[in-house]
Amino acid sequence: MASRDRVRFNVGGQLFETTSTTLANAGRESMLGALLDESWNPGQPEYFIDRNPACFSTLLDLLRTGALHIPSNVPEKLLYREALYYGLLDHVRGAKWGPFDGNTLRLADSVPGRAPGDGTAIRAAPDGGCCVAHGSMVHVYNWMLEERRPISLDYQQVNDVGYIDANSIVITARERLGKGDGGMAVFSAATGELRHRFRVEHGRQPKSFTAGALSLACPDDHHIFSSCKGRLNEYGIGVWDHNTGQQVDFFYEHPGCSLGDADKLQWLPSKNCLMVATLFPRTDNCFIGLLDFRDKSIPWCWSDAGITVNLEDKRVLHAIAMEDGHSICVINQYDDLGFIDLRAGNTNSAGTGVRWSSRSKLMNQKVPYEESCYPKLATHNGQLFSCMNDSISVFSGSEHVLTSTLRRSYGGSICDFSIGGDRLFALHNEENVFDVWESPPCPII
Amino acid sequence: MSGQSKKKPFKIEAYKHRVEVDPKYADRTWAVIEHAINEIYNHNASGLSFEELYRNAYNMVLYKFGERQYNGLVSTVTRHLKDMGKAIESAQGSFLDELNRKWTDHTKSMQMIRDVLMYMDRTYIPTNHKTPVYELGLNLWRDHIIHSAKIQTRLVDMLLEQIHRERMGEVINRGLMRSVTKMLTELGSSVYQEVFEKSFLDVSASFYSGESQQYIEVYNCSNYLRMAEKRINEEVERVSHYLDSKTEPKITAVVEKELVETHMHRLVHMENSGLIPMLVGNMYEDLNCMYNLFKRVPSGLNLIKDVMASHLKETGKQLVTDPDRLKDPVDFIQRLLDMREKYNEIITKSFHNDKAFQNALNASFEYFININNRSPEFISLFVDDALRKGVKAASDDDVDQVLDRVLVLFRYLQEKDVFEKYYKQHLAKRLLSAKSVSEEAERGMILKLKTECGYQFTSKLEGMFNDIKTSQDTMLGFYNSPYGNDMADMPAITVQILTTGSWPTQNINTCILPAEIVIVCEKFKAYYLGTHNGRRLTWQTNMGHADLKATFGKGQKHELNVSTYQMCVLMLFNSADRLTYREIEQATDIPGPDLKRCLQSLACVRGKNVLRKEPMSRDISEDDAFLFNDKFTSKLVKVKIGTVVAQKETEPEKMETRQRVEEDRKPQIEAAIVRVMKSRRVLDHNSIVTEVTNQLQARFLPNPVVIKKRIESLIEREFLERDKADRRLYRYMA
Repeated sequence: MASRDRVRFNVGGQLFETTSTTLANAGRESMLGALLDESWNPGQPEYFIDRNPACFSTLLDLLRTGALHIPSNVPEKLLYREALYYGLLDHVRGAKWGPFDGNTLRLADSVPGRAPGDGTAIRAAPDGGCCVAHGSMVHVYNWMLEERRPISLDYQQVNDVGYIDANSIVITARERLGKGDGGMAVFSAATGELRHRFRVEHGRQPKSFTAGALSLACPDDHHIFSSCKGRLNEYGIGVWDHNTGQQVDFFYEHPGCSLGDADKLQWLPSKNCLMVATLFPRTDNCFIGLLDFRDKSIPWCWSDAGITVNLEDKRVLHAIAMEDGHSICVINQYDDLGFIDLRAGNTNSAGTGVRWSSRSKLMNQKVPYEESCYPKLATHNGQLFSCMNDSISVFSGSEHVLTSTLRRSYGGSICDFSIGGDRLFALHNEENVFDVWESPPCPII
Repeated sequence: MSGQSKKKPFKIEAYKHRVEVDPKYADRTWAVIEHAINEIYNHNASGLSFEELYRNAYNMVLYKFGERQYNGLVSTVTRHLKDMGKAIESAQGSFLDELNRKWTDHTKSMQMIRDVLMYMDRTYIPTNHKTPVYELGLNLWRDHIIHSAKIQTRLVDMLLEQIHRERMGEVINRGLMRSVTKMLTELGSSVYQEVFEKSFLDVSASFYSGESQQYIEVYNCSNYLRMAEKRINEEVERVSHYLDSKTEPKITAVVEKELVETHMHRLVHMENSGLIPMLVGNMYEDLNCMYNLFKRVPSGLNLIKDVMASHLKETGKQLVTDPDRLKDPVDFIQRLLDMREKYNEIITKSFHNDKAFQNALNASFEYFININNRSPEFISLFVDDALRKGVKAASDDDVDQVLDRVLVLFRYLQEKDVFEKYYKQHLAKRLLSAKSVSEEAERGMILKLKTECGYQFTSKLEGMFNDIKTSQDTMLGFYNSPYGNDMADMPAITVQILTTGSWPTQNINTCILPAEIVIVCEKFKAYYLGTHNGRRLTWQTNMGHADLKATFGKGQKHELNVSTYQMCVLMLFNSADRLTYREIEQATDIPGPDLKRCLQSLACVRGKNVLRKEPMSRDISEDDAFLFNDKFTSKLVKVKIGTVVAQKETEPEKMETRQRVEEDRKPQIEAAIVRVMKSRRVLDHNSIVTEVTNQLQARFLPNPVVIKKRIESLIEREFLERDKADRRLYRYMA
């Protein structure tokens, strides 16, 4: 029986011997699975495969152990190509990096960009790829960090991007006066083709609009939110169903809460509310609020009205709702973290609701007088991330203690970063390069 | 580029030509793959090398011949399918077998072709929006085989014929049927629906339409229902064996429509076997069968429910208006209870305790119970009967059950206040004559009424109980007091002190009591008024009773148990042997009707005739004379002389009760109007009537005319006023 389980390959002249049990790990939907399927007269003494033996050896090792070890003489791209031949690319991706942990991240790659000027945003795809918005272009990379066909928006400024799934990218863009375009649309990540445009209707009249910040609700209710600015008074937050593509709701702006200019939207499943943060409004005060779409109410809000605006004052520059839904974390120009309790009632009075944790003293560096990039925040699996200048800080535990700092020597300050597909992507300002950080697979012992 | 072309003289000519693949490469490679596809279709794949084919297909895509390869695949597979189509068309006999065999071949081949073209499936196809290889194979099969005119009609005809045979009782090859329908669903649910399901449903509809026409003529209702049930089950089973599960609701809908919906009226009204005979005969199983079938069709259950309700109303109405039944209130209520029990049983056993049916039952009872305005009185009498005779109900539990059941009828009453009036009267009689079965049962009943109608309803009834209790204490106090301790040779007295208002007392002139009794009464009165300040005692001589010791002609002694009136009459005969009616009336001052009744029971009842009447006749007239009957004999020492009481009320009494009820309603209606107006301030007439009716309907249904009168009275007393601008509106005056 043991010998019948044995399978011999001659790959490019080199002999390999393995078992059909090992090969079964490849699955039926792979070249090796089909080769050994009973419809293709199996049971030959030896199978010849006209491919690179070094790569085969690596992939066979992957099938045997589940772990990926790429010898130094095998270039990664070559291995990917061979894996695609055998239909084992997903196996390779699954084994290449481990589950995300902010404290074990290591720099995996740096991808230089060509576009001039500042990048707008970087977003991680669920499968480990990413996209970078740049002026009117969105550059799309697959998880092997090969650039795909870019998405070009015919010179409209991209405001925000997001992945609906690994294959669909949603883009919000500024309206160009007189052209009636702009707004929001879904594109194919693989080919860059336009799939669907989301429309806004007011009183059954389709309107053109500028779409700003984006948020996707939890995956099971297919809702997508975007801040909208129309030509007339159609300011507010639009809601679409990304399965049907139809507009399902619209939250019109209340006086004093500038929703159309929102910089950050975030869906809070535990509260059934959308967090809206407008931090750089044109006229009003800085505003953070929770919107309840069921009765079009704002059950909670905070604003910095009343604080004397002075360069030295602490200003809220970014906000994110914590994963437990109990508080909102904010950051100022000194890289201080602050927390606003969501459980307390309306804290309209003069920004007093922010509990700042003064961290600037801990940082052994001078605060640069002129900021080139605003700080950003992100959360993932209970860890809190903030970027400031050229480094990203990782805070862990319920007390949010600084546990790791990710820094690179060049590239200038970080203008945006994103976590997804078990990777962290950081977009640098000056060289327009983005770094890919990933956690290595767990060690065996 | 232009710079390069200027450097032409240099010796870089070799690089000028782009390295190109052998132009014949694509043709040659494709030829290999096409050959392989042919061999696969010809069951001759054993000579093929998978690795070589896979590599060739990979290279085709790599060298940008993906489109070439894809188009080649389409045309090669199409050619094979055309050949297969011809083979299927010319199949003799087992057409379905042949089709199924070719289908198996095709899917198997497509599986292998897909293995070869796997790389194209992963790369070229998604980026170029092409149909994946295996799916392409299915689509081509659909277009060239299933949608081929000759095959499609034959296929459908064959399938339907097989199903028809099975319906007629033949055994068919279900495995084959399943394979073929599975093929259709694999091609897409729309293919299955358009090619097969639509005709299947049409043919089934006409089949069952014909069958039902035939059966409705010969079968009775029960048999027809069973046939329909069996047919529906068969169709469900057929779907589970070889059709797509989504067909089940569609085909059952067809069968239900043809077998049940079309004929449901005829079935329900079928003579001798329809719904009403089933109900009358308690045919639980048939009723259940009907319920289950009719539930499937729209308004099916409503039909059953409506027919049942109208039947109930009709029989109920007959029952409550039958003059024979009015003679015996207990029997009357018992029949209603039995009727309810019967239908309750039917609803529980056959109609799945359906709420709608329960409601219909309740509505019907409510309808006919209130037709007869004596129902409240009768229900109270029934309760009286249950609580009075200890013999009938063996234990408290049984009494409780009876009460629970009768309470259900009580709920149907619209005039609950009338019931309260009667209940009070009957309860008073029970309490005063100490005839109730047990205090516990009485209190239980009151508790039930309390939970049903609220505290207000029963507060007076509870007051009656308290009076009885305090009376006992008072009597004990009386006999222990100086007033009561020197009474050894006087008649013993038991006084029940009844609070005015709690009891159904009438203002009746106290009759003239015998002197012996008057002394005792005065003593008690002195005691009572001495201990309680500011009270007034009135003797209700029409309610009491007495035990008398009498000695007759031959010296035999008897103890006579009589009412207070009877006592008064008998005591007169201590000093006279013969008295005329007028003399008695004068001496006692008992009201005429009561006196007549009392004399009748003393003189005209055989075995208890302690008086003799002249002349001897059944009825008492004002010219009669009465003599002491010294020949009276009885086996018993204690003789109970009942009053000839009409248990039911007499006509004038009834009128009086009615009138009292109407009087009592007035303040309640007024209170309700004021409550409504206090909260609404301004309201029009109709809204007031609706709201007042809503508030009061737990107790009775107020008459709109009466409400109008009460409103007018409230306006006179300046609680309300008419709006000056709009006369239809009333305004509350705070």
